[in-house]
Amino acid sequence: MIEVRGLTKRYSGRTVVDDLSFEVKPGVVTGFLGPNGSGKTTTARMILGLTRSDAGVARINGRRYHDLPRPLCELGALIDSGGVNPSRTAVEHLRWLAAANDIPRSRADEVLAMVGLDSVAGRKVGGFSLGMRQRLGIAAALIGDPPVLILDEPINGLDPEGIRWIRGFMQGLAADGRTVLVASHLMSEMALTASALIVIGAGRLIAAESMTDFVERAVSSVRVRSPQLDALEATIAVEGVSLWRDGDALEVVGLSIEQIGSMASRIGATLFELSPQRASLEDAFMQLTCHTAEFAARRQAS
Amino acid sequence: MRTALAMEWEKLRPVHKTSRTIALAIALAVSVSALVALAVASSASHMSAHDRLTFDSVGISLEGVNAAVLAVAAFGILSITREYATGMMAVTFLAQPGRLRVLGAKLLTHAGVAGLAGAGACVAAFAVGQTLLSTGGLATGWSAPQLPAALGGGVVYLILVCVWGIALGALVRTSASAIILSAFLLVVAPILVQILPAGVVQQASRWLPSQIGVQAMSAHHDPHAFAPWTGLAVLAGYAAITLIAGGFRMVRREP
Repeated sequence: MIEVRGLTKRYSGRTVVDDLSFEVKPGVVTGFLGPNGSGKTTTARMILGLTRSDAGVARINGRRYHDLPRPLCELGALIDSGGVNPSRTAVEHLRWLAAANDIPRSRADEVLAMVGLDSVAGRKVGGFSLGMRQRLGIAAALIGDPPVLILDEPINGLDPEGIRWIRGFMQGLAADGRTVLVASHLMSEMALTASALIVIGAGRLIAAESMTDFVERAVSSVRVRSPQLDALEATIAVEGVSLWRDGDALEVVGLSIEQIGSMASRIGATLFELSPQRASLEDAFMQLTCHTAEFAARRQAS
Repeated sequence: MRTALAMEWEKLRPVHKTSRTIALAIALAVSVSALVALAVASSASHMSAHDRLTFDSVGISLEGVNAAVLAVAAFGILSITREYATGMMAVTFLAQPGRLRVLGAKLLTHAGVAGLAGAGACVAAFAVGQTLLSTGGLATGWSAPQLPAALGGGVVYLILVCVWGIALGALVRTSASAIILSAFLLVVAPILVQILPAGVVQQASRWLPSQIGVQAMSAHHDPHAFAPWTGLAVLAGYAAITLIAGGFRMVRREP
């Protein structure tokens, strides 16, 4: 369980994170979404005590990061910088981390096996690919078998096989009852992995809810195809309904399929297609964040 | 603190740089001492009786330790700046959120290694220096009364330089600037001081770390310089001031 209350960060007068409050619950993968520069990494670093907050507090299972006696056993973090000395081997990197929190040395080999790096345990990290470094970072996050995980852009640099692996891996961690917060700007990936969402834009909270609730908030349209499309369009075009042509089809927003079906039968129009178009996570995200992006653009322009 | 020490020790242990630093410090000390001793011994026949009487056999044998000092300073500096450069410092602070405790653990572990390297360098330099000086009849041997103080002074000198290097690393953060700064203070400053007017040179040069080191390891004391332990106390003061500033910066700034 991660609890963030009123977290605020300003850099030389510019507010990067603005009075942010949310909770991350165990048992599900929670996606932490926001456009680049929206304050995701700064928020994660404040939770981890790497960046000092100007106001507010973040707690991990009721305690601030600084107050955790063995932090790696309470929270595992993957932060994008990587943070490995290239002249060290993978197992050496994990051994000093283990020593720092009284974790048995043998755990280093265990976590390397968990992320599939056991065959390169003795190789210097300098020769690792980005994907291998990312796996090593995940191994480091797991060294203390923590109940809470914060992963910042874990998909960066992974190949398709690695992406499939980490998707299942994160869901497995959540299924064990762990709290898993994944910061990402990759909508399609989050749509597959996360079932809860925290969405921020320009440092402010936009939404904190389940994936389904969030996607349902987006405007969905109905797609209509008919040989009598012009007549149908004239009937449908009433107050409060917006519609547009998409090739030989008509997209309607503001009417249910039942209403459109009744209207069509009243004028005797034949329907080839009458289908609800579900908004994707990306659509929902764009609709809900576009005004904050515009706001930011306007503020910069002025 | 125990786990912070365990962490820093585990970081030091496998890295071959640690043993390389010790080896480099000893090699520099031995080779420079050997060169100096060889040069002195070859001109021994021209020395007057008075020169022979006041000859600082201990100090000349330990001359090379002043060359080891840059290796030891770099060892201290890099222990901090390399972590900042690779982003490893953030991971260190995730494992040990108490930043001053991390700094303390680095100081203790690295000072320990520097002490070992220093002892090795001093003893080896003295052994080689004496062997070569004996060819000119200038050796004083292991029973010289000033020897324990000179060897102890040399080891303390190198430990303080290591501590000061760590402090400088925490303050400056980038390897290049910190090493250039330390090279300036240890090597360039003594040359620049020579430009000063004659009366001021001696007043100024006694504050130099290199001069403090020379005095700590010599058997005969220059009346213009600080006494060995006073000089080392001055150097400890430099290290302490830099350490306070470096610790402050480490706590305040983001890794």
